Amino acid sequence: MKKLQKKSMSGIVTALAVAGFSSIAYAEECRISNSSMVKPGGFPDRALTMVVPYGPGGGSGQVAAAMAEAVTGLTSVGINRDHKPGGSGTVGMTAYMTSQADGYTVLEHIDDASSAHALDSSKPNPAVDLIPLVISQVTFSQVYIRTNETRYTDWPSFVAWVQAQDGKATIANVSKEGSMERVIMKFITESSNMTIQQISFDKGAPRYGALLGGQVDALFEQPGDVRKFLDSDNFKPILTVFGERPAAFADVPTHVEMGMDFEPLLRFRGFYVHKDAPADRVDWLKWAFQRAYCEDSYQTYNDSKFMNVIDSYRDTDGAIELINAAIDQYRGVYKEMGLDVK
Amino acid sequence: MIDNFLAGTATLFGDPFTIGVFVFGVIGGMLFGAIPGVSMLTLAAILLPFTADLSPAQGVMLFAVIYCTGTYGGAITAILFNIPGAPENAPTAFDGYPMTKKGMAGKAVGAAVLCSAIGGVASALIMMSATEPLAKWAIMNIGPPEIFALVFFGLAVASSVGGRTIWKGWLSVLLGLLIATIGQDPVGGINRFNFGFSDLAAGIAFVPAILGFFAVSEVFVQAEKKAAGKYEAPELSVDFPSITELWAHKIAVVRSILVGFFCGILPGIGATLAAFMGYGEAVRWAKDKSAFGKGELEGVISSETANNAATGAAMIPLLALGLPGGALTAMMVAVFQMHDLEPGPLVFYNSPDLIWVVFAAMFYANLSILFIGLLETKTILYLLKIPFQFLAPMILMLASIGAYISRGLVLDVMVMFLAGIIGFFLRRSGYSIPGIVLGLILGKIGEQNFAQGMQMVHYDLGTYFSRPICTILVIAGILTLAKGLYSAFAPISKETA
Repeated sequence: MKKLQKKSMSGIVTALAVAGFSSIAYAEECRISNSSMVKPGGFPDRALTMVVPYGPGGGSGQVAAAMAEAVTGLTSVGINRDHKPGGSGTVGMTAYMTSQADGYTVLEHIDDASSAHALDSSKPNPAVDLIPLVISQVTFSQVYIRTNETRYTDWPSFVAWVQAQDGKATIANVSKEGSMERVIMKFITESSNMTIQQISFDKGAPRYGALLGGQVDALFEQPGDVRKFLDSDNFKPILTVFGERPAAFADVPTHVEMGMDFEPLLRFRGFYVHKDAPADRVDWLKWAFQRAYCEDSYQTYNDSKFMNVIDSYRDTDGAIELINAAIDQYRGVYKEMGLDVK
Repeated sequence: MIDNFLAGTATLFGDPFTIGVFVFGVIGGMLFGAIPGVSMLTLAAILLPFTADLSPAQGVMLFAVIYCTGTYGGAITAILFNIPGAPENAPTAFDGYPMTKKGMAGKAVGAAVLCSAIGGVASALIMMSATEPLAKWAIMNIGPPEIFALVFFGLAVASSVGGRTIWKGWLSVLLGLLIATIGQDPVGGINRFNFGFSDLAAGIAFVPAILGFFAVSEVFVQAEKKAAGKYEAPELSVDFPSITELWAHKIAVVRSILVGFFCGILPGIGATLAAFMGYGEAVRWAKDKSAFGKGELEGVISSETANNAATGAAMIPLLALGLPGGALTAMMVAVFQMHDLEPGPLVFYNSPDLIWVVFAAMFYANLSILFIGLLETKTILYLLKIPFQFLAPMILMLASIGAYISRGLVLDVMVMFLAGIIGFFLRRSGYSIPGIVLGLILGKIGEQNFAQGMQMVHYDLGTYFSRPICTILVIAGILTLAKGLYSAFAPISKETA
């Protein structure tokens, strides 16, 4: 753990540099983008296809719909969303990699693509095998409890209660092998000297229902996904896994403040195109997706999902930097966890 | 409640455009539900961006109406051609299609129309009267351990359906359970039986498997008969079930409403489990279990009542708690969000008008199933007059499109044909296709909830059985299994004696 923490210190610097300090620069870049761009050779002269490796109702499905609407509003080019859910995004990624690299097919994907490559380098590297058009959502995770919970009310009392349960406390998350959730929970439990049973729910509704109904004791999630439960005062966050307190959660302590010294892995969602797509078409797509990020409709959507609490925007270079940092982080952590890194 | 309902009705029918949206939803849902592959979800996904231009009440109401009528729409093709429009219509095909082959298509379709309407209307009425307390009761008392117990209870009767012997019935169910384990395990995400194919990481999708086992294998069976000169076209009958016939199944209808409603109210479960459980309970309580899978009217009644009873119930966790029960209700969340609303407790206080328009619309959508269904049914039945040499390629083409379109993967078409070939040979040997499909669908739901449930009780059976609902359902399941085994051995004992 100590070795890992030392590694993490340098990682925190990277994360802050990428996620925090550079935010103003990226936001400025977004705002100064040209409001129009000539279509190269008439491209696109028909609707684009967006492969979405998750179902239409979840976070990816929703961000894909919001971005597609913004791009269409900006360019009048339609986007057909093609959902290929399953296998933690691998089904959609595989299908995308076999599609034609002509720029007409783009991909939505999340940080799972980076962690999958970190674990198995034969899987596509989103920063090398694909060209990121824009990363439009970057967010952090939190631990939530029910607002009317009386057994514990904040992080210190939660830790004390969990320690007293002798491993019988439970937390709902998506704890698949090597997932961001499982990795962060490993850090949290080791740093806090507690054992907690992670219950993996792959769908949001049963996961949130489990906390609402008292089937589990806590929930690990990102704030945008549980906003309605925060607004209705059903859930409250007791820990933010991020280097500093975001203004929207100013009264919630961070893991660093609670004595945990590890790098906060972030959830990010973005849009990609084949690396072999014609360069002029890629340039147009970059413009369209980066500019669409600034459209009112997209910003309204991001606001509703707490996605402007920290800077969510990464252009192509920023995205590559973020992805590479994530892959390095995951790879180090996986080796530390004893996973079979290929 | 009555005042609110009348106010919702007035809003719904007080504006011509809102009426137009309602009618579009009713007809669109039925149409897309009836075509295999292009389900009500396809229609909902197409319409989602356009709901931004509707009022919040119109947008949510449109999706609610599509949900009601789309759930019914798939029953028609399930009964007439053995092609369930969606997984929740698969149990309808278990007995509906054999009824068609016996020249009783009119009775099957008539029962499906009536029972879908009854199940849906009853569900809507319960939803209107007690949304908030029911939602809270469900999430407080039903978790993964209880859902697994429910699935175990349902699977316990699966061997009785369609197999030549109980042993073949069980082998069929076990094959379904085995197929359900293909793909990533539901907890750790570890690949199983995917043989290096990334596409198989998501497992075998329900739609191509169901289309293969039902529609494709049936085409092969009929083609073999045609080649051997033994093919007999199904007799066309437009006779609806009589009042007396339907009244004889009143208990099955009430039971299926309760089962369907209970399954529908559970977040993330929805109409598919409801239909299978409703069918399973019909088998469990039947005097002659062997009649099921061979053209038993009660099979159609139970399945169609239960899946539509789940529609109103699925709205309860969505509206009261913001927890969608399935893919379509998850899309409804997006409709709410497009209008800066969030389903959940606050919506009852912030937008009561919207809620009551939706409630009223679901009530009338279920009623419209009855009227439109009865009007269209007699016309649809004449599709059976299409000669086999034209019908068979049409079915294969529709099934192929249906298998491909749900995920856009050629693999799914291959899975469908493989399932068709396997189904063809298994049927010849007396194995049960419904048993396989029951195993596949309940297996996927059951495994996930078993794994989560075991983690919740820390792998301690004492803790598991300290939950009363689990204890009751597991014991009832074991008793059913024991009774089935006794029945299987009893004839052998007599013969030996």
